[in-house]
Amino acid sequence: MKEINDLNLPEDVKYTKDHEWAKSEEGIVTIGINDYAQDQLGEIVFVELPEVGDTFSAEDEFGSVESVKAVSELYMPISGEVAAVNENLEDAPELVNEDCYQGGWIIKVKPSDNAEMNALMDKAAYLEMLKG
Amino acid sequence: MNTCLKTTPLHQWHLAAGANMADFGGYDMPLWYGTGVKNEHLAVLKSAGVFDTSHMACITVDGSDAFFLLNYCFTRDLTSLKQGRCVYGAFLDEKGHCLDDAIVYKFSDTSYMVCVNAGMGKTIAEHLEDHKKQKNADIIDLSGKIAKMDVQGVNAARILSKVIQSPDKVFDHMPYFSFKGHFDAGHAGAETVKCNDGTPVLLSRSGYTGEFGFEIFLAPQAIVALWKDVLAAGDDYGITACGLGARDSLRAGACLPLSHQDIGHYKFMNHPWDFALPYTADKTGFTKDFLGADALVPEENDVYVFPFAGESLRKVAAGENTGVFENEQRIGHVLTCATDMGITWHNSRIVSIATPNLPENIKIKGIACGFVMVTKHLEPGTQLTLKEGKRSINVTIVKDIRPDRTARKKLSHFI
Repeated sequence: MKEINDLNLPEDVKYTKDHEWAKSEEGIVTIGINDYAQDQLGEIVFVELPEVGDTFSAEDEFGSVESVKAVSELYMPISGEVAAVNENLEDAPELVNEDCYQGGWIIKVKPSDNAEMNALMDKAAYLEMLKG
Repeated sequence: MNTCLKTTPLHQWHLAAGANMADFGGYDMPLWYGTGVKNEHLAVLKSAGVFDTSHMACITVDGSDAFFLLNYCFTRDLTSLKQGRCVYGAFLDEKGHCLDDAIVYKFSDTSYMVCVNAGMGKTIAEHLEDHKKQKNADIIDLSGKIAKMDVQGVNAARILSKVIQSPDKVFDHMPYFSFKGHFDAGHAGAETVKCNDGTPVLLSRSGYTGEFGFEIFLAPQAIVALWKDVLAAGDDYGITACGLGARDSLRAGACLPLSHQDIGHYKFMNHPWDFALPYTADKTGFTKDFLGADALVPEENDVYVFPFAGESLRKVAAGENTGVFENEQRIGHVLTCATDMGITWHNSRIVSIATPNLPENIKIKGIACGFVMVTKHLEPGTQLTLKEGKRSINVTIVKDIRPDRTARKKLSHFI
């Protein structure tokens, strides 16, 4: 397993206490799980995705990722409507492990409140949280 | 890493290999390596895997009453156990609850060894002492003094042939649940199985994966060298180091219990492991008296444990919070739920990657499987729902899970 200092944590995304990342681009927020989460979970064999059009509030459970041993819930970093889901994950769930910030993205959301992104952690704050 | 955890001699190797580590039975053990649980699980089913099982404990029982003490405390009838053979069973308390499951090895009429689970050496040794009374039996807890590694998979014997002396002789006549050699150079039989460098080992045809393979008991200072030799020798066969994650998913698919999870907190009956009890041929009674036998009678609030297989690889968390529902009625909870990545449903049957004559384009997707504890008897084929919060999966009660397992096959098949 990775040491905290070896984790891949990009500067240009926000982080949540549940080890997810969220990135806002042109009004759409892309969401996935971060390098710490995928390393801890191990190889993912199934991703449960919501439907396009589903709406959630921040901290609602919107899906789950499964490894051979465990199931891990996914929680909304922000409120909004699901605009897209990553259908590649159906046949290749391991994309979440291999490329968690790009090819392994999980959902895209139209946020209902743009201010909510400001409440998420930046890389420095997330690292602080990890180091405990 | 929690510095209060115990470690095995292979601990540094696991860390250097980048293993994801966790506490198991008070030991800091590898859950999986960079290969991942799925690949480690599949490696055992296709070829071979090697497991560090040094966290398990051994107890020796010697003396003129060793047989009587063990035969009273252990659920299997040791009367017909021959020298060089071992047998699986359990130690029960007076209520018939399982303290631990174990394998008993017979060296001679007055010398036995018991292999128990991680951290259980002291408990079971004390349990045996408590029931010794006036019997002549010396009980020694060898926890931490013996290292162990398991080599499991169809190529296990081929690979071990490269790392032990006189493999033809060693593997000549070695039936399932027999053993040869000894880890203590001073012990009779220690000449029988030696590593290429002369290290004596006890080689047992047993294991926890349900597949063909061996458990190797040896001195702690010798295991790192043997581990590396086995990996090097097995390289051509695609051998991989496997963690406890793959160990758990393999044993679940092999329909084997995990001590303190699937057995322990209930009377040791009404479960899939009848073979661990000394039933008479007609199953109306036991062939011997033993500690806990009196409690193993049917009562009103008895629980039942059954194996199940899910529709797909999707699983639920095990535990009391995951309910078992039959037609909306809660009848129990889930003891174990893991994914066997080597099996899949095909025309209403479960097949494995080892099943002969599979159609060419079949995709082995994995199936969630394990054990449920319920309040009534259920026939194979019964449909149930397992529910945990908002998550639910449909499962079927089955008689067995992963088919075409290789553990019992004749050794000559694998040389």
